[in-house]
Amino acid sequence: MVALLGKSPERAFIPVRPVRGATSAMRTDAGFEPGEAQVATDLVRRIAAGDAAAEAALVERYSRGLLYLLRRQGVSPELADDLHQETFRIVLERLRRRALDDPAGLAGFLRGTAHNLAVAEHRKTARRRTDANPEGLEHAVHAGPGQLQTVLLDEEANIVRRLIGELPTARDQQLLMRFYVAEEEKETICSDLGLDSLHFNRVLFRARNRFKELLERFQAGASP
Amino acid sequence: MNHADVEEQQIVDRYVRGTLPAEEAARFEEHYLSCPECLDRLDLAESMKRGFQRAAGQDVARVTAARQLAVVAWLARLGRSRQAAVLAMALLVAVLLPWGLAVRRIAERDRELATTRAALEQERSTASSRGTAEAERLRSELQASQRDLAREREQLAQSRQPQGNVPILFLNTERGGASAGGPTVRLRLPSSPGWIVLALEIDPPHQPSYQVVLRDAGGREVWRGGGLRIDEREALSLTLPSSLLAPGDYTLAVEGLAPGRQPVAAGRFAFRVLPAV
Repeated sequence: MVALLGKSPERAFIPVRPVRGATSAMRTDAGFEPGEAQVATDLVRRIAAGDAAAEAALVERYSRGLLYLLRRQGVSPELADDLHQETFRIVLERLRRRALDDPAGLAGFLRGTAHNLAVAEHRKTARRRTDANPEGLEHAVHAGPGQLQTVLLDEEANIVRRLIGELPTARDQQLLMRFYVAEEEKETICSDLGLDSLHFNRVLFRARNRFKELLERFQAGASP
Repeated sequence: MNHADVEEQQIVDRYVRGTLPAEEAARFEEHYLSCPECLDRLDLAESMKRGFQRAAGQDVARVTAARQLAVVAWLARLGRSRQAAVLAMALLVAVLLPWGLAVRRIAERDRELATTRAALEQERSTASSRGTAEAERLRSELQASQRDLAREREQLAQSRQPQGNVPILFLNTERGGASAGGPTVRLRLPSSPGWIVLALEIDPPHQPSYQVVLRDAGGREVWRGGGLRIDEREALSLTLPSSLLAPGDYTLAVEGLAPGRQPVAAGRFAFRVLPAV
């Protein structure tokens, strides 16, 4: 499933509502972890005390990240949804029984639980029968992208072409192609093209902003 | 971890590409779980990567298709005979090129094989000649050893046989120092190797045992023996192989040995050995 900027066609973007004014600490570039620790400690304490609103806040705060994490673990979108629910069930039951020894490590606890569930699911799949059913194979159809997804993928490619066309120099074009298509390391590209790290970061930053702008314009035009 | 580091170190892009070290990836995962900003960046990075790769793939496919179409169009413009000629050429290239390459490869292999064979042959012949010389040397050494062994066996056999004409030398102690004209007692070496008996007359007082040192004219010790006892004729007897003595003057120094005492000089005997006739 193709998701553009976190908004898949089926899943609406869930705006994150900060818990007890933790936003300012999270949004600063100079270190948000103390804020995260405070928020997590507060949530853990309240859930252990039986506060249902804190449970909802926990789900709201970590839901999108957890779903992304599970998809990164290589599970299918449908299974990721199930494991996402299961992770919250396990974590909330545990927090209701007893608070964490290190409440600030709530994110780590969530991540670990999701990771373990994904690994267990992979193992379960690997244990399943692998012998082929010839009749079933005859009817098997490759699950390629749907029409909408194909349109979205093509649009991403078109935006990239437009983006490359707008780049001021051939060297910047080469930089992006090598970074995104050939997946070469930054150091190698800089060394080959005689660039410094600052220039590299600047090209990438501008390209990313322009790509985002074009993509948002496309999404705005596509939406009714 | 802060957003400046995330930007500076391309953590988002590296995470999406899967090149972030595991420990760093775990820290970033714990961070982005509750960070919508990083999640937006992740979505954008994935979208960009996908877009670039799809665009590149489409471009490659387009170029390939265009080339194929160009070839087909060019073929269509040709007349029938030319089309046939082009197809024949293509077939020839398709068949002859791999065949030519295979023939070339086989020829190279043959050359390598011939070179290896020649080197092997040369090595074998060198090793063979080296081996022959070594065998020859060992054979001659063996023959020499066999000759020595035979001679020593013969000597041993002779020594075990009863022997007649054994030279016996009766020696008296030199008194008043060595004579000016050299030793008066003379011994002529036998023509073939054998034994020589020396009888040394010892003056009393006698000691329980004696030791003898034989020296040549230069004072070099030729032989030394101990444990000799005086016989009823108040003499010590020695049997020496004639091979021990070369023509020249010799002295025999005799010392008496008694337990707990220093050796005592018991006599000095001189004799001259003459060459065999």
